[in-house]
Amino acid sequence: MRFEIWRLLVTPQASHLTPVNQERLGYNESMPETVQLFITCLIDSFFPHIGEAMVSVLNRAGVWVEFPAEQTCCGQPAFNAGLRAEARPLACRLIEIFEPTRGEIIVPSGSCAHMIRHGYVELFRDDPPWRARAEALAGRVHEFSEYLVDVRGVTDLGARWPGRLTYHPSCHLLRGLGVDRQPRALLAAVRQAEVVELPEREDCCGFGGVFSLEHPELSAEFLKRKIANLEKTEAPTLVVADTGCLMHLQGGLMRQGKGQRVVHIAEVLNRR
Amino acid sequence: MNVDTFRERIRRSLDDANLLAALDANAARRKAGRLTAFAALPDHQERRARAHAVKAEVIVHLDDYLTRFIERVEANGIHVHRAADAGEAVRIFLEIVEKQKAKNKNLRPSASSADALIIAKSKSMVSEEIELNHALEARGYRVVETDLGEYIVQLRGERPSHIITPAVHLRRGDVGRLFEEKLGLPYTEDIPTLTNAARRLLREVFLTAEVGVSGVNFGVAETGTLVLVTNEGNGRMVTTLPPLHIALMGIERLVPTLDDLALFLSLLPRSATGQKLSVYTSLIHAPLPGQTRHLILLDNGRSALRASPLAESLFCIRCGACLNACPVFRELGGHAYASIYPGPIGSVVSTALVDPQFDYLAQASSLCGACREACPVDIDLPGMLLRVRAGQTPQPGREGRSLPAPVKAGLRAFRLVASTPRLFAVFQSLGGLLSRILSPRRAYLRLPAWTGWGYSKDFPAPAAKPFRARWKHLHQTVGQPFEAAQGQPFQAVKSEQSFQTAQVGQPFQGVESEHTRPEEIQSPPLPAAPPPQDLIERFCRELTALGGAVERLSAADLPARLQAFLAERGAAQALSDDLAAPYLRQAAVLRPDPSLPVGVTGALCAVAETGSLVLTSQSANALTASLLPPVHAVILKASQIVPALAEALARPEVRAAAAGVIVTGPSRTADIEMTLTIGVHGPGELTVFLVDDL
Repeated sequence: MRFEIWRLLVTPQASHLTPVNQERLGYNESMPETVQLFITCLIDSFFPHIGEAMVSVLNRAGVWVEFPAEQTCCGQPAFNAGLRAEARPLACRLIEIFEPTRGEIIVPSGSCAHMIRHGYVELFRDDPPWRARAEALAGRVHEFSEYLVDVRGVTDLGARWPGRLTYHPSCHLLRGLGVDRQPRALLAAVRQAEVVELPEREDCCGFGGVFSLEHPELSAEFLKRKIANLEKTEAPTLVVADTGCLMHLQGGLMRQGKGQRVVHIAEVLNRR
Repeated sequence: MNVDTFRERIRRSLDDANLLAALDANAARRKAGRLTAFAALPDHQERRARAHAVKAEVIVHLDDYLTRFIERVEANGIHVHRAADAGEAVRIFLEIVEKQKAKNKNLRPSASSADALIIAKSKSMVSEEIELNHALEARGYRVVETDLGEYIVQLRGERPSHIITPAVHLRRGDVGRLFEEKLGLPYTEDIPTLTNAARRLLREVFLTAEVGVSGVNFGVAETGTLVLVTNEGNGRMVTTLPPLHIALMGIERLVPTLDDLALFLSLLPRSATGQKLSVYTSLIHAPLPGQTRHLILLDNGRSALRASPLAESLFCIRCGACLNACPVFRELGGHAYASIYPGPIGSVVSTALVDPQFDYLAQASSLCGACREACPVDIDLPGMLLRVRAGQTPQPGREGRSLPAPVKAGLRAFRLVASTPRLFAVFQSLGGLLSRILSPRRAYLRLPAWTGWGYSKDFPAPAAKPFRARWKHLHQTVGQPFEAAQGQPFQAVKSEQSFQTAQVGQPFQGVESEHTRPEEIQSPPLPAAPPPQDLIERFCRELTALGGAVERLSAADLPARLQAFLAERGAAQALSDDLAAPYLRQAAVLRPDPSLPVGVTGALCAVAETGSLVLTSQSANALTASLLPPVHAVILKASQIVPALAEALARPEVRAAAAGVIVTGPSRTADIEMTLTIGVHGPGELTVFLVDDL
């Protein structure tokens, strides 16, 4: 009964959380943990079902999710391409949108979380006021699996995935954020799932943002190796925690006419 | 050298099956070697951070350290020259050699014909950077590369394809055919045979060369020490035998103290080849009797690099670990980069040290970060690559200068769209609509190859209804966390304040602070110094593992055993030094006679953790006796064994000696297909007579 009132809320947007609204809606100390969702432009535009799965999983972890509707892209594509002048306005927008919100900011993609946490500090290296704001925001940003395990302290979400799974640790997540133990712990708790190790797992899949457009031959070689390693596991499902890798790997499998599916870790955790 | 030809070079590399097989083997072996070597060094992450801090300090105060270093080196009797750029360095080099040539005509006319003065070179990236060989050959000098890999590459008329293993792009068959063609040797794929052939030919070069040229791995500011790290022994040959030694060094290669040197020596060989210590670490302070030494300090863009946002790239100790870890290097090899500095670090420094046009190299990276992870000095290589892409190079360029125009235009357009949520939503709807019209049943669309993406993969169809549209209809039911429901207390409801406290002060179970990898946390503290018996056992174990032999005996038995040792090897006499000569009695020879098959020396001390022997000499006796003969025996007192390298380097005799060497096992190479071959230029047999009661 404790959370009944929340079921009545159908428009949970940040703009509704003015002090008056908070009071009227009973927004008080006894409410569940609230987080802000930065959905990322890829999930928003191409894989909305991952976003839905993620909200559902977060709810199950006792977390109320808010979605600042003004958000678009963090600016990572331009930043990684070297076009910092193009990345800066997008970064400023994101900071301005998320600054007044409350709670942690959850990002379902390692490279986007890395961008906000580390890329922004570099982007505003010579701009102290924005740099300070970027640093303050960086402290609130968590990749999805990192948040569940490190902040919420949950690994078992009651998920069930019959069959074999293997996990590809994305570069920015693994080496950029040092997040590896967390998604593994989450997957280890999934019922009926047989999680097997991906050979040469730490190798890049070849996405790399503009890299895959500018150096398609190199990108293709990385992809070929990754898919060959996936086939060695005989797993029908490859789990990732970054949408860039997901679309790259799934796109490669599709092109090669292979049947394996690449899924986001939120999809796995959401199946019961 | 433009972007188009880079694409062509990439395609050429990818079409070369032989090259890819060689590079695959290199990546696998080197990575495994590095990981194994560091696994045995529990505090390696801490060392890495310390090394980063030391280098940062040196680069920030480079002028001060350089001044101190030059003062010390000159006080030690070595001539120091500073070169602002490659041209000046070559000019200085030629002047030194011309003077030597004039001197030779008077002193040793028979040594070599005056025109074909022989210059023996050990590996030096700086010499490649200034294109020294080219300049010397144009003047009619005979330059011979003496590192096996460099020798092979020189015979092929190529440049090194890797900063540590120059012939990494070749397989044994390539070398066999090369030696057949250029040296007239019967074709063989047997690596020891190939290595031996090179040894024989190069031995002649060492003994007749008038000039020895080397690089410098580290310069120690406090003592003026020039440190040279090699495995084969050629670096020792060229710095010991020729009457003139010229060392080439980039101004950034400084460390403050010998203690810092010990730190860097624990990182460099492990990162480069997976060794605890390279076979020979030469510590040069002063010229040997009858020898002249020069040091050329090269700037060539380093000062500009230091003043640029890429300054961190000057922390590099040229171990090559980032090359071996890089998935792009693994597909390309060094030659495709066209710069003599390939791989991740090359893509950063080549713009400053070789040619500003090389900024396009930084585009060939997926920013995967494997380079940074492998870097023993923790250089933020992905961060540096991003800065190069943003034009933040020593000669500032436009942002995204090397980016193809369509990609640039696309990203600009995307920024405009993404700046307005409404426009963004419109484009999302349009995309969804378009993909449904074009390919109604497919979740992934086939794009043409020219898009780049379509070269090897399909592209996801935009969702008919993006997340932002679905959000409005999303119902949330916040439940008890699953684990909490199973009985563990879980406080689902808490205020922001208490959350902060929980995060900072009482981390959840099993939670480590962010940015730390588990292995960093689990590193146990360093064990305390083991007792002496352990020390002796550790030393014996390490040396034996390297292929050396240890015989323990009492002082009374030593002279007879030495005699027998010589007899077993058919030697009546042995090269020796002052320490060993008394035990050899009449058998001792104290001049560098290259025909003797055995050398017997003493040692200043030995290092247990690496199985190393530290040899120092004011005269060259210990150096030549431990280098020229195929067999080297060492008389060591048990009490001379110290636990760690830092303690050995702290001995005052080290800095007092004109030159010293830390010997870690028999001479070796792995330049052909990374296949270990023992006994290249230095001794292939190393025996230690460990005397307990001397």
